[in-house]
Amino acid sequence: MKTNPFLVKGLRPLAKALSLAVLSGFGLLGALPLSADETCASPYMKKITGQEDFVYVWTLGVEGLGDGQDKLVTVDVNPKSKQFGKVIQSLSVGGRNEAHHSDFTDDRAFLWAGGLDTSKIFVFDVKTDPAKPKLVRTIEDFVAKSGGVVGPHTIYALPGRMIITGLSNNKDHGGRTALVEYTNEGEYIGTHWMPTDADLRGAIKTGQFADGYNYDVRALPRKNLLVTSSFTGWNNYMMDFGKLLTDADAMKHFGNTVVTWDLHTKAPKKVFDVPGAPLEIRCAWGESHNYCFTTTALTSQIWLIHEDDKGEWQAQSVANIGDPAKVPLPVDISISSDDQRLWVNTFSDGNTRLFDISNPQKPVQIYEKHIGAQVNMVSSSWDGKRLYYSSSLLANWDKKGADNEQYLKLFAWDGKELKQTFAIDFTAAKLGRPHQMRFGAHALYSNVAGKGHGAALAQNP
Amino acid sequence: MALHWPKTPRQGHKGGSPFLAGLLILAALSTSASPPEANRTPSEPLAPGYRPLDYPVADPGSFTLSDLGPAADALLLESTGSKISLHALMRDKVTVISFIYASCGEVNGCPLATSVLHRTLAALKAYPETLAKVRLLTISFDPSHDTPKVMALYARPFTKEKPDWHFLTAPSAKSVKDLLAAYQQSITSEVNAQGKATGSISHVLKVVLVDDQLRIRNIYSPSVLHPDLLVADIRTLILANSAQPGNPSVIPPNPSPPKLRPGDDKSQYERSDYRTQSAALTQRTGAAQDLIGLGRQASLGLPKDPYEEESPLTQAKVTLGRKLFYDRRLSLNGTFSCAMCHIPEQGFTSQEQSTAIGIEGRTVRRNAPTLLNTGRLRRFFHDGREDRLENQVWGPFLAPNEMGNPAVGQVIEKIKKASDYQDLFEIAFGRGPSMDTIGEALAQYERTLIAGNSPFDQWYFGGQKTALSEDAQKGFVLFTGKARCSQCHSIDKSAALLTDQAFHNTGIGYRDSMGGEEKRTRVQLAPGVWTELDQTTIASVSEKKPADLGRYEITQNPEDRWKYRTPGLRNVALTAPYMHNGSLKTLEEVIQFYARGGIPNPGLDPSLQPISLSLFEVHSLAAFLKSLTSTGVTPLVEDAWAAPIGDPISVNQPDSR
Repeated sequence: MKTNPFLVKGLRPLAKALSLAVLSGFGLLGALPLSADETCASPYMKKITGQEDFVYVWTLGVEGLGDGQDKLVTVDVNPKSKQFGKVIQSLSVGGRNEAHHSDFTDDRAFLWAGGLDTSKIFVFDVKTDPAKPKLVRTIEDFVAKSGGVVGPHTIYALPGRMIITGLSNNKDHGGRTALVEYTNEGEYIGTHWMPTDADLRGAIKTGQFADGYNYDVRALPRKNLLVTSSFTGWNNYMMDFGKLLTDADAMKHFGNTVVTWDLHTKAPKKVFDVPGAPLEIRCAWGESHNYCFTTTALTSQIWLIHEDDKGEWQAQSVANIGDPAKVPLPVDISISSDDQRLWVNTFSDGNTRLFDISNPQKPVQIYEKHIGAQVNMVSSSWDGKRLYYSSSLLANWDKKGADNEQYLKLFAWDGKELKQTFAIDFTAAKLGRPHQMRFGAHALYSNVAGKGHGAALAQNP
Repeated sequence: MALHWPKTPRQGHKGGSPFLAGLLILAALSTSASPPEANRTPSEPLAPGYRPLDYPVADPGSFTLSDLGPAADALLLESTGSKISLHALMRDKVTVISFIYASCGEVNGCPLATSVLHRTLAALKAYPETLAKVRLLTISFDPSHDTPKVMALYARPFTKEKPDWHFLTAPSAKSVKDLLAAYQQSITSEVNAQGKATGSISHVLKVVLVDDQLRIRNIYSPSVLHPDLLVADIRTLILANSAQPGNPSVIPPNPSPPKLRPGDDKSQYERSDYRTQSAALTQRTGAAQDLIGLGRQASLGLPKDPYEEESPLTQAKVTLGRKLFYDRRLSLNGTFSCAMCHIPEQGFTSQEQSTAIGIEGRTVRRNAPTLLNTGRLRRFFHDGREDRLENQVWGPFLAPNEMGNPAVGQVIEKIKKASDYQDLFEIAFGRGPSMDTIGEALAQYERTLIAGNSPFDQWYFGGQKTALSEDAQKGFVLFTGKARCSQCHSIDKSAALLTDQAFHNTGIGYRDSMGGEEKRTRVQLAPGVWTELDQTTIASVSEKKPADLGRYEITQNPEDRWKYRTPGLRNVALTAPYMHNGSLKTLEEVIQFYARGGIPNPGLDPSLQPISLSLFEVHSLAAFLKSLTSTGVTPLVEDAWAAPIGDPISVNQPDSR
């Protein structure tokens, strides 16, 4: 049977995309307009460039609401679908694990979702039927195998394996912790402890702090760089927020460090002072943009982690977010693919803020919008035109009473204004507290060549 | 070098132009690092494998590669057509495996892998001994087109010098399917809109490094696939093989972390010049001690063990109780053991929280008391509601806001199902786990947490005149005299628990219930960085504060409102923060509190009257309190650190290894 000719001049869309599919670690050079939710995901992973079909929302159970357990909620987000804006599946996993973050394996076949309390990791098959994720494995040995690391937070794809940040430990439920690696099959590989004063593990302590805390991890493969930030331990992240704020002893146990690592050897290289709990890290895309941003939750600053002209990595504060004295509490952030814009959400006032980061040394806020009484996560579509927001930060930190709005909201961004497209009330729907959002698309797993939205597969930094 | 190929359809397996296309690309690649332009759109960057690395690679041997699991076996066909197993090819070699299909024309795809492998071999020529131990395998995942003859043709440009590089294919599409699954290579044959195969195959490119024990040691995707990295990893593996035993490349870490304060000590955190002094969790290792023997040594100044006759301490019971104490599986969701609130190096209490939190972060109203010397008390909990140690343990086990177990039977079931508890109860008690054997085992361990024989004891009961410093002696005089502390924190002739084990109202509980809210709260955000938050802001994220009426909740007698048990003062320097709600942070603060006469309220204990104390007197009292720290705590912590911590492995088999 004749097959289509094998073209060598001018690649066919899938072939072209295939070649992009095997790229990692590169900035996009304008061939495809790119920005992504997927700007936060691993550089080793396939991406969705067109219209996403689904959003998988990792949701915390609320005692007394519905079945009271954590669940993966699938929402149909393709505007052409009859079910657009509707919950099409809710998959309960048992227990309240402090569901928090989730992410895909490098082949995007599985979604790993972690619980900060029980340290369980739930593995969902999202390839067989992206509309109906299935729970295929529950990893329960994270604490035992890792040597006592508690609270899998960021789950990040490396080639053939997952690197996972811990938040705490099983000795004192404090903030000292490690990075942990697991194979894609769910087998433990190794533990890389955060540098502490007693054992810096070869890292240079550049300032006053080497607290040994962890939070998020991001990679810049072309610079052989891994970067981690620092939050707090189980004792604090599980505590009622009001109780925590009024406990002077507990308030001393927040992270004040960012660590850079050798991605290849997983050796820590430098410990930087970044006071006030630096949280999410986002690295720039551009081929020569050797820098990453993080924001500090307690001190409300944007920090730049960057390579200087001598090839050394440095960290410095570059902007305030809102009025730091009021503790606006910056939480999730999202960088655009062209490295020009940074969305920053502030939990306390429920606002989303857009920063112009065209000069990374001088971010300037250029837009702000109120999203809800509280806001945490923001996920951007591939082309930057769709922004999804979710409300929950931590089960015991979320606001109480009427301010405890629990929602998933989609906004359209036209470059000037955010306009709401739909909103789902997760309390009215008896689901719980929505947290991490991840995108799914049929086209990711389709073997049909060429056109159609979402048909292109690309890997991006 | 521009290359053009005619647009001919793919016709079959043998010698057709499609794979010739691949060969030509590879031929070009084999001679130079820059690939042809024709197969790449201008905007598509080259994989780093084609360019010099933008960073220095770590020295071989200066790092270790993780073990990523076993390398699976498979039956393959050499380019000669003969059958061979993958394991046979891997044995005694460091192997690099790449999966390709011969007609792949994507410059950043299979040709990248082949180019990198070719240049890796070239680089290894500088290390002939290493090169001799290395084997490269290029395996096709498209056996229907890539026959052995095709693979032989494919190999030709790279095998002129007869390197140890095999080009293989699989006997069948089915066998390759299993092979690919084993190596996480997901591939999809592309089809057009009509469902016909286009000839292209979509896959996530990965190259795998396997050691000579058939273990996968690294996996590379295009963003890290580079000859320099491969060479460094290969040389690291081979160096590790030839490393002399007893010549560790890693310097052993420093000695042990502090045993009388948290490893995450935040002293001076208020100051902007605060510096961390964090201990490493990997150094938190101990050694099992003779707890029963230690207890005898550390008893000077303590009353007799009230349980001695009815429950003589045995090694088996103590060890079993210790295992239970550190077992996080014994909570509803596998996150909490007794030791999560009674942390050994924090005085067997928590020095980092005013009041505890239990499972799911549920608020506990009160500060966790120390378990040091708890075996000599007759009343347990701040409201004294239990009077026997082996019954007390069931409080935390079943409290919904502590370990959250829904029933006694559930705890027993968990223990029965855990293989690491097998026979331990039978050996210790002659019968299995039950409410009373679990209670008794835990009580026995707690009864070994004996911490008397402090400098004060050696001076007061042991007659050693120089055992207590002058400051502390002055403090003792105040303690038993003008400051009237010993009225409640009693010292007897032959023993001192420094508690009357009775209940008193100091006003702290009264203030919590009846006092107004702070309008503004000073909150620390970072070392030396503070802000003030108003009541509304804090209230917006606060649960309703639970009421706490103290001893009244047990007796229902209004006279007992806001009365709490007098805690013992032994080892008090190790048990901050203080009072039943952890509201006073330092010993000096406590002394000043009592010097002011507590907090006035209708039920205030009559012994609380304002006392005039000079700064020096406060200092002396503090010195006395610090002299109550036993020398026997350190070995208890040493032992505690050696105790196994129980953690879940799976929900059906609650084993912990």
